[in-house]
Amino acid sequence: MIPAAETGPAPVSSPPKKERGTPFLLDFVPLEGEKETRLKPFFDRLREGRLSTTKCPRDGRIDWPPRVTCPRCHTESLEWIDLPDQGRLYAFSAVLGGAPLGMESEVPFAVGLVDLDGAPLRLYGRIEGRPWNELAVGEPVRVETYDVGDGRFFYRFRTVR
Amino acid sequence: MIGRRVALVGGASTPFGVRPTTWTELAQEVGAALFRAMPELRAEDVDSLFVGAAEPERFAFQSHVAPLVAEQMGLQPRRILQRTELACASGQSAIRSAYAAIAAGLSDVAVAVGVEKMNLPDMAEANSAMGCVLDRAWDGPHGATAPPFFAMVAQRHMLEYGTTEEQLAAVSEKNHRFANSNPNAQFYAKTFARDKLLRLPVVAPPLRLGDCSSMTDGAAAVVLVAEDLARKYTATPGWVRGTGQYSDFHNLANAGSLTDWVGMKHAVREALRSAKIETADLDLAELHDCFTISEIIEYEALGLCGPGEGGRFAADGRGELGGDLAVNTRGGLLGCGHPLGATGISQALEVYQQFAGTVPPVRQVSSPEWALVHNLSGSANVHSVMVYQRGQGS
Ligand SMILES: [Zn+2]
Repeated sequence: MIPAAETGPAPVSSPPKKERGTPFLLDFVPLEGEKETRLKPFFDRLREGRLSTTKCPRDGRIDWPPRVTCPRCHTESLEWIDLPDQGRLYAFSAVLGGAPLGMESEVPFAVGLVDLDGAPLRLYGRIEGRPWNELAVGEPVRVETYDVGDGRFFYRFRTVR
Repeated sequence: MIGRRVALVGGASTPFGVRPTTWTELAQEVGAALFRAMPELRAEDVDSLFVGAAEPERFAFQSHVAPLVAEQMGLQPRRILQRTELACASGQSAIRSAYAAIAAGLSDVAVAVGVEKMNLPDMAEANSAMGCVLDRAWDGPHGATAPPFFAMVAQRHMLEYGTTEEQLAAVSEKNHRFANSNPNAQFYAKTFARDKLLRLPVVAPPLRLGDCSSMTDGAAAVVLVAEDLARKYTATPGWVRGTGQYSDFHNLANAGSLTDWVGMKHAVREALRSAKIETADLDLAELHDCFTISEIIEYEALGLCGPGEGGRFAADGRGELGGDLAVNTRGGLLGCGHPLGATGISQALEVYQQFAGTVPPVRQVSSPEWALVHNLSGSANVHSVMVYQRGQGS
């Protein structure tokens, strides 16, 4: 079972950085509106600073990414559960070149796999806070939600020390 | 294996590299190369065409590529025509589909062709295309492409087993050296000494430029036929004896161990079991060295050495010609480049040419009988394996 976070981390606003001309339907950020996805609650919670996912009420297991059906029993009645907002770096690297569209100006950036504290989940994401060559496997990070610059929200990790 | 026996009877490749030519022109080139290489093959013999193409929608803004490729190659398939897409393993998927069709009696003579054009005027577009191989909506927004993922694999292998940058460079040096004997390889004319490899720029730490396969333009084609037709085309057929495939996740969160490629072990076991052989029976292997760390873990998953011993296996030269098993004599993805859909076809072509004894002596395996071809795709979340046996009595 996943201990629900008492209070999620506060959302952090970023300056707009989506480049004009990036094709909306080909960019990497998911469609988040009620006309576009059945997972709108996930994105609503991100706006509140809460990272969450779905849990099957029958077997109590969580899945990532969040789903609209259970892959085991196929129920469509899934529950939302907040994920822990702390974790530890399991592995990391950095993108020093060869970035996808719209991310060229963000190079270099660190990415990593984070083991969430108390949840059976290892999530991939950006690692903010310190340059990649100062990171260490095993170091603590926290979950952070942010405005990607065009009104949509996503999540990333930030170093603690 | 069940059904009719199926033989690999020939093939051809275009040069791989940064090519001043379009996706469609590559399909023409490989058609001309195929009919030049196999004068006994007539266009009307070919009843089926399987086109391995990973991302023509992104690289060439073209869908429905199977009939396009048929037209470019001068073929009019009358039994089965389709594209196979499995990212980096799209080419092997074309071969496996051709094999299945012939074994089932639905085709007698099939061409499996792979085409990819990855170098674009705007490489950010090409990098985005590569990001779409992973889970675009959930991992993609963080900037997920192959290099940082395989870099984390390398980091964990180094952490868990003490694998070193020098051991990674041993893989790269070997495969680039083999590519110096392959005129179709992207790095045919470039040499990479180990000390030079260790000074190349870091792409995604700890991986340097020489640890990563390239964005490559190229096409390759092979011909597979039913058992009774093999001798019409070649004296040295490569019989398909085993196949195996396994997929256990897609989103990176569900990868499990980064360093123990369980899916590859499953696929290898199934392919060897169906061929009724063991790893020790193999004479050569084409392993998917998209990154140096991949080949190191593949040594382990293939059972050539124990867990964590792949780095030392590489540094000790046990994957060389004359070592435990000749691995990637073609030059690998590192030396040949990695035009996604064409890679698996090019690997099978190397097997055919090794069996025929027509590769340059510097990479020719002595009287090979058994060969294994492996492709991974995506974040090593799919593994595809085929086993070939050289025809007897020729
Ligand atoms: Zn369920």
